[in-house]
Amino acid sequence: MKYPPNFLVIKVMCSGRVDPQFILEAFRRGADGVMVAGCHPGDCHYIEGNYKTLRRMTLLKRMLREFGIEEERFRLEWISASEAEKFVRVANEMYEKIKALGPLRIEEV
Amino acid sequence: MSKPVLVIGGGIAGIQAALDLADQGIQVYLVEKSPSIGGRMAQLDKTFPTLDCASCILTPKMVSVARHNNIKLLTYSEVIEVSGRAGDFNVKILKKPRYVEEENCIGCGECVAKCPSRVPDEFNLKMSNRKAIYFPFPQAVPLKATIDKEHCLFFTKGVCRVCERFCPTKAINFEQQPKTIELNVAAIIIATGYDLIDPSLAPLYGYGKYQNVYTSLEFERLVSSTGPTNGEIIRRSDGKHPKSIAFIQCVCSRDVKINPNCSAFCCMASVKEAILAKEHLGDVDCTIFYMDLRAFGKGYQEFYKRAMEEFNIKFIKAKPAKIEEKPETKNLLITYEEQVTGVKRVLEVDMVVLAVGVKPVYPEAISLEKNEDGWVKLRNPYLDPVSTSIEGVYIIGVAAGAKDIPDSVTQAGAAAVKASILAWGGG
Amino acid sequence: MEQPRIGVYICHCGVNIAGTVNVREVVEYAKNLPNVVEAKDYVFMCSAPGQEIIREDIKKCQLNRVVVAACSPTMHEHTFRTVLAEAGLNPYLLEMANIREHCSWVHTDKVAATEKAKKLVEIAVAKASTLEPLEEIEFKVNENLLIVGGGVAGMTAALDSARRGFRVYLVEKKPILGGNTARLGRLAGTDMRGVDVAGSMIEYVKRNGMITTLTNTELVSVDGSVGNFKVTLLKKPTYVNEKCTKCGECVKVCPVEVPNEYEFGLTKRKAIYLPSPASYASTYVIDGENCTKCGECVKICPVNAINLEEESERIEIYVGAVIAACGYDPYEPSVGEYGYGLSNKVITLFQLNRLLDPEGPTNGELKIDGFVPRSIAFIMCVGSLNTTPNSYPYCSRMCCSSTLKDILLLKEKYPNIDVYVIYKDMRTYGRDEQLYLTACEKFVKFARFREAPKVSVTGESLEVTFFEETLGEEISIPVDLVVLAVGMKPPKDVEKIRTILKVGCGPEGFLKEAHLKLRPVEAVTDGVYLAGAVTGPKNVVESITSGSAAASKAVGLLCREKVRIEPTIASIREELCSGCGICVSVCPYGAIIIQIKENTRSAKVEPALCKGCGVCAASCPSGAAQQLKYKDIQLKAQILAATYKR
Repeated sequence: MKYPPNFLVIKVMCSGRVDPQFILEAFRRGADGVMVAGCHPGDCHYIEGNYKTLRRMTLLKRMLREFGIEEERFRLEWISASEAEKFVRVANEMYEKIKALGPLRIEEV
Repeated sequence: MSKPVLVIGGGIAGIQAALDLADQGIQVYLVEKSPSIGGRMAQLDKTFPTLDCASCILTPKMVSVARHNNIKLLTYSEVIEVSGRAGDFNVKILKKPRYVEEENCIGCGECVAKCPSRVPDEFNLKMSNRKAIYFPFPQAVPLKATIDKEHCLFFTKGVCRVCERFCPTKAINFEQQPKTIELNVAAIIIATGYDLIDPSLAPLYGYGKYQNVYTSLEFERLVSSTGPTNGEIIRRSDGKHPKSIAFIQCVCSRDVKINPNCSAFCCMASVKEAILAKEHLGDVDCTIFYMDLRAFGKGYQEFYKRAMEEFNIKFIKAKPAKIEEKPETKNLLITYEEQVTGVKRVLEVDMVVLAVGVKPVYPEAISLEKNEDGWVKLRNPYLDPVSTSIEGVYIIGVAAGAKDIPDSVTQAGAAAVKASILAWGGG
Repeated sequence: MEQPRIGVYICHCGVNIAGTVNVREVVEYAKNLPNVVEAKDYVFMCSAPGQEIIREDIKKCQLNRVVVAACSPTMHEHTFRTVLAEAGLNPYLLEMANIREHCSWVHTDKVAATEKAKKLVEIAVAKASTLEPLEEIEFKVNENLLIVGGGVAGMTAALDSARRGFRVYLVEKKPILGGNTARLGRLAGTDMRGVDVAGSMIEYVKRNGMITTLTNTELVSVDGSVGNFKVTLLKKPTYVNEKCTKCGECVKVCPVEVPNEYEFGLTKRKAIYLPSPASYASTYVIDGENCTKCGECVKICPVNAINLEEESERIEIYVGAVIAACGYDPYEPSVGEYGYGLSNKVITLFQLNRLLDPEGPTNGELKIDGFVPRSIAFIMCVGSLNTTPNSYPYCSRMCCSSTLKDILLLKEKYPNIDVYVIYKDMRTYGRDEQLYLTACEKFVKFARFREAPKVSVTGESLEVTFFEETLGEEISIPVDLVVLAVGMKPPKDVEKIRTILKVGCGPEGFLKEAHLKLRPVEAVTDGVYLAGAVTGPKNVVESITSGSAAASKAVGLLCREKVRIEPTIASIREELCSGCGICVSVCPYGAIIIQIKENTRSAKVEPALCKGCGVCAASCPSGAAQQLKYKDIQLKAQILAATYKR
């Protein structure tokens, strides 16, 4: 199970910890894409954290569109600890899509 | 206050039993006959079906054992006498002299570097040499040098003593005497593991005759980065990488003349070894000759499928009749019968690995009741699955029956809780 | 805060990392990162010499932060935290970079993998620069144990724990203990039957004063965490009390008839029934799901033992540890699968086992429609090895041995029956190989199928057709009886149980252990342990052994007076807090309250309840709420490091 090495991982205990400002910061600093991966809704290890994530990220996606950042550059995925194949598939897909889009030249956005 | 428990054998099963007991606050004596704990698992590179690095998951447990306040580790020691009954066993342990003072030895390795002798290294299945003063492997616990009396120039010829001169902490002591330790324990857990059955009992496979025929354990050492070739799979005959490897299953197993039982883990071990060969060599043809591919445990069938589909390992259902050698190349010729057509075929390969069956090792000091096939008889396999015929004496790991690591670890836990009941005066 | 002095340690992990990542290059890169004063590599960082290197350097180089780049933190974060503690550093001044599972194991391009490893180390170093010492919080451990599931694994765990001196609550959803094993006849390698083994254990459980058995009881919820769980149970009514004399008059008048699960559907039972013929069922019970509440049984009962108004009871208990021993369900072939359900001459191995049991529905006589079959075909791997569209991909482990055991029993009684075993691989592992040898000696015929055999039912006769691998041709065998060696599947309520206990499951649906090799009876969630077939197919002996192993782990926890919780909990800076209450509303555990001090409102975290999810930190508009070790500035430092172009 292999995927492209372009993904750098920052660990948080729950996707509910992810403040939308982190994603904006990542794009601002030069990331070409950002993925937030969490447990499936209903399976959150901390009960409801991921529902908060879902709400926040839905709103964030609208904001990103307003900024002119393409939709494919930000992904919210529900991947459980035993779904390695899904992670690999998603990572490969995301890589292909962003490669096609090219680097996000944030200064120009 | 609880009474202590004795664990005989420092492989993964013994280690786990010791840790479980110690974590409960019970004093444990862990006796191991070789200079370091770790057992067979320390000789493996990766384990199936997760391809976890064996050392990575074993060494932290070994360190926990060494550091645990409730575990007294007695390595290079053997149990010589046992008497008494459940709850009250009197045990005599012989601590063999290392001729190195353990409190002073810092494991620096100067002695090893200076020692002039060469001894076949049993940890590497004699495929390389060690010195007469040695550490069994670099991550040994305890990391204390040991002098092998039988091969030391001082003990055999009265000369040398170079190690003594160079030891920075003056830890060498040729006068060291064996020590007898007497203990009283509530329970005994036997975790003495296994040896491979002598593959020369299957002479038609050419082990010992043909250089490029290996046992599974030898192959494990070849593949290990701490092994005799630093993880390079190269042939004994010419040091070249093999372009084709054949694995033969059920050697000295499932054979009424030698051993009627199945050794449980060899099918999966060979599948793993074939996958490792592919990972190391890339361009290598791997064929497994099997009778039944026993992929029965959790994740095993999926691992088997992966071997076939992802790694292109070939599986031929046949028990080869014989193996011969091509003298010019030292390649091997495997004669087998094709299942469906009945046609006799010969496969030429660069290297052969024999999945040799296992036989248990038992401590001589305890007379355990055994079955006809030489394996220990359990008291009541259903209501008391880890008890031997002697009350208070438990048996776990492969010594209790061929099994893989997860089952050994599970049995270790089971024996630990049973022993803990005795340790607290129950039972 | 002091100036960080970071030591970076890169592990080779044998060839696991070093085979793909150029470790030396990463070491050199690390040396030039901000605040790094030392960087080294070693073949196995987690081994004794590896740990010693770190310990030594902490003293020699006066390190106050440590980064270890190696495998997943789930493997060795604890190990390396201990190293720091032993060297006198706060264990939370450690940061790990996963350059194995997140790098060397998943990338093939060595150059790219090395670059990524450098970046991962850079991210870890950036985090390490921001780390602060944290103190673990201690809680007292509740000494009680909850065991969910009263089969042989659960009962074994209960007996071992009770004999060790701990109070056990043994909860079983059915009206009696014994689980699946109580439905089995003769077992392999012994004269005992499954019902005897289960029966023995039930006797011991009954007599042990430390075990409180709650049958007909289901798990509703589990709150809290390791050492302190609050468990809510629902004890459902059986509607029959101890006055019952087992006279059986009620059964005669009950109008409801359903398949008898004890006989695997071979016979029927009423809604009021004796849960098992074995002596340990002390009263009749009413199956609440099928009872129509007609009241006939009440009228006829001579001792007034039935009360149809009986209500469910909610019970709350407090325990320190939980063992899930919920067992398995046998694979149920669908109607038509191998002819199952289309003819009473196609049965499962479990049903055969009942028929051969002297206390079974036919008193041990193998008779179908009144006749002893002259020939039987056993089809193996039913429901396993992806043989049919509904099958599971895994091997069910126990079926080869169980089948041969039953065949040998059968041959003892009926030596002239022609027996065919149609199989894929004969997986009689270990000493069970001797069953295979004996079966061959008794002229059992073995044939290997390539694709799942087809069973055709025409009138009274059955024919099994398949492509035989050794002959290399399709053959058809007419037989009087087909027995399907069905496998094991996860129990039907496994989803419910695992959600309540917050335990993961594998792709096949069985509960997932913390580590397949070295932690086979522990769940990832601290304080929750797993026993028996709920983690995967096992035979009776293996289930019983794992029950003891789970008890060993649970007892290890309960022995400790105190348990320490990870301090990565929420923390609120009062001076920034406006008391808006958003954090209170988003916290899933109710761990935050609003306090009023000197007329100002501010939020306060209750450490005992906080589980460290960080949702409050992400919701806080002022940044007053933060999660220790995952504060905004810490995560931002990592983002900066990740995107920084050196």
